[in-house]
Order: sequence, then structure tokens, then C-alpha cells
Amino acid sequence: MAITTADAEPLPDTNGNTTAPGLVPGEASMWFFILGDLLIFGVYFVCYMVYRGEHAGLFLQSQRHLDQGIGMSNTVVLLTSSLFVALGTEAARAGKAARATRLVGIAFACGAVFPILKLVEWLPKLGAGITPGENLFFMFYYLMTGLHLVHVLLGLVILGFVLRSLRSASTPNMKFIETGGIYWHMVDLLWLLLFALFYLIR
Amino acid sequence: MSESILAANPATREGRPWYRNRKLDQYICFWSVPFFYNLFGLVFVPLSWMMPPRSPTSDIADVIAFMQSPNLLIACTILTLAIGLSAVGNACYMVQMRRMSVSPVFLFAFMAGAIVGAVVGALFPMFCFGLGAFRSGYDPEILQMMYDFGYLSFIGSLGCFVLNWGMLGLAILLDKNNILPKWLGYYVIWQLMTEFFVATVWIAHDGPFAWDGLLAFWFNMVIYVPWQIIVYVCIFRAIRNQPENELRNARFKPGATYA
Repeated sequence: MAITTADAEPLPDTNGNTTAPGLVPGEASMWFFILGDLLIFGVYFVCYMVYRGEHAGLFLQSQRHLDQGIGMSNTVVLLTSSLFVALGTEAARAGKAARATRLVGIAFACGAVFPILKLVEWLPKLGAGITPGENLFFMFYYLMTGLHLVHVLLGLVILGFVLRSLRSASTPNMKFIETGGIYWHMVDLLWLLLFALFYLIR
Repeated sequence: MSESILAANPATREGRPWYRNRKLDQYICFWSVPFFYNLFGLVFVPLSWMMPPRSPTSDIADVIAFMQSPNLLIACTILTLAIGLSAVGNACYMVQMRRMSVSPVFLFAFMAGAIVGAVVGALFPMFCFGLGAFRSGYDPEILQMMYDFGYLSFIGSLGCFVLNWGMLGLAILLDKNNILPKWLGYYVIWQLMTEFFVATVWIAHDGPFAWDGLLAFWFNMVIYVPWQIIVYVCIFRAIRNQPENELRNARFKPGATYA
């Protein structure tokens, strides 16, 4: 998909003026995906809260098994990564391709820490026998953080294509860079909600 | 572009009876789909009450009554006969995928995914559900096993369709011929997200993640049904807009001889 956005619709590469007034940044069809994705996650969040209300004791007790430290580290890693993507997009708009490449590279590196932290979090739990079948809370937990992890991995692939586009093209394809950035911010936003719902609400 | 070609050749649209339409093959495949889904709906719901799915925690007496119902055997027979129509319906996708500027791997993987999905998601459950009425002397435990097997393969098999639809979605997004709209590619990938959640039916016996649960079944249906209709509308438009000079149907050549 990343290749398509870069190659299928070669847009006039202007330095910073691709976002005409009244238009959304990035590719319009990607917004369709993002709003839909938020809708799906939104329904799952609402269901989670409803079932949490019904089984308050079970959810509270299960939540104690979650490590807030790792959850917080994941949040910091993703927020930092998002910041660098935003800075990288600004740099690309200003026509500073080398600087943009460096910034998006840092964002990629921060993002790549996330799956490693997830493994550090999951493996001891699974080893101790806390699996999705444990109870309703852990089913929600593994499923939703797992689906989010899939989004992170896809986001890393997209960031990889953004980096490639920044390094190879003489003038950056702003539409594509913005599209990748928007997707990455969505991944970040979803994690913030997941972090609040699973780790913080007590 | 296709519109201009059609406009330049008025004979391609008009002045020719419908049965001599050069896209008749594709239209037959296309119209087999509503027939197929309506038949499925009638057989699944009012004939056999196989759907909406019964609970995994149903009482054993209810399971036996359901499994031994003659209507269920009739339903299984009809569905087993009609499942071939899914191949005809899937041909619509494949003809259009073939026009896309992507590797043929997408087409073949789509085809294989559709075949596996039909076998596991449709034929396996039919064989399981049909057995109870076929011979009345089966042990209740065996019927219970067949009930679990039937529903797990019916609903738990959506993973096969993840591959199938994933190939279609990626092909649409990578295609440079714009056979199908790009937003549809994102819509396909988006819909796939809900199908991942069906994996939970292998673990949960009750609650939202069981095979009759709110998230594993009902929410997926709410997302899936409008999505499937929209995909078929887009396929119809792609068939309609396909220029006749892009059709691959072999033409009759007068005087052709054996090689």
C-alpha cells in the first residue's frame, strides 16, 4: 500500500504547499481507513467498559498483574516517535530532505522499541500461565493490545517506505509522507486510549 | 477512459440483445451472487435455525434436538449442492483482479484462500450438522462433538478469508490501472481487522468472544454485511466500465483449423 501511495498518484511536489485550504493532509482514502479503524476500536473500547462495569472485581484484580512501568515506557516511546515524525514532516515540507530523513529515522528507531517492550511484557505473563483464556479481562487485553501491535508493525513498514521515499526522491512526495505520519499518529492515539483503559483506570 | 471508449463504440452497449452481450459471462457470475446469498439466508435462518449461532453452552438435550432435526439435514443437502455457486461468484473478483497491474500471485492466493474458506467454512460444518438426522443412533457425546466441530469450523474459519480478502485489498491498493477504487482497498483491509477477532471462539465458551458472542459474531456481521454489498456494487461498476477491447473471451474465427 505504501508503494501505491508513493507511485500511483505522483503529485506535484511542492515544498510545503501540498495541503491546499479545505483539503485534508495526506491521502483522502487513508482517512477513510483511519476513521473506520477508530470506529472499530471505539466499539471495542465501549464493550470493554460495559463488561468492566459488569465484572468490576475480576477486572480490578486482573489489572494488578499488568506492569504500569512497561506500559508507561511504551507510551513514552510512541509519543517520542510521533513527535519525531511530526518534526520530520515539517523538515520535509521545508525542503530539508536530509534532516527529515534523520528525524524519521529516529522516529522509526523509537517505534521499533515498542514491539520489543511488548515481548518483554507478554512472555513472562504467558510463561506464568496467564493466557487469553485466563478470564475476560485478559482476553480483552491480549486481543486489543495484540491488534494494536499489528498496527504498530504495519506502521513501521510504512515508516520504512517513508524513509525510502525521503532518501531516494530528489523532491519528497509530501502527500505520501503526510499519509504515513497520520497513520503513525493514529497508532499513537490508540495506544494512549489502551494505556488509559487497561493500565490506569482503577 | 473506459467511458470514452464505450462512447466511441456505441455498438458495444446498444443495438445488441442482452444475450449477445460480450460480458454476459461476467454478468451471470455476478447475478449468481445475490441468488446464492438469498438461498443461504433462507436455509440458514428459517429452515434450519443454524444461524444466528446457538450457544456453545447449550443444554445437551437442545443440542441433540437441533442435531437430529430433519430440517437441518435438508439444509445441509441444499447448501452442499449450492456451494459450487461460490466458485462462480468468486470468478467476478478474479476476472477483475486479472486486469490489475499486480503480480499474478495475488490472484492465485485469492483463489486458494477462497477455496480453502469454502471447504472449511461451508462444507465441513454441513457434513457435521447433517449427521445427526442421517442416522438416529449416535451417542449424545458424539453429537455434541459434531456440534462443536460444526460451529468452530463454520465461524472459526474466518482466518481463511483474512488471506483471501487481504490479497484483494492489497491488489486494489497496489494496482495502477485503477480497476477498483483505492478507498475500497482500505475498506477491505479495515474489514479484515474484525475477522482477526474471530480467533477467540477457539478459547471462549461464553461472553462476547464466544462463537455466538457480541464481538466475535454480531459485531462482525454488522461490519461484514454492508461491506460485502459495497464490494459487489464496486465489482459491478468495474464490469460495466471494462472496455470491450480488454475482454479476454476468445472470438470465433471463421475457417479456424486444428493445429
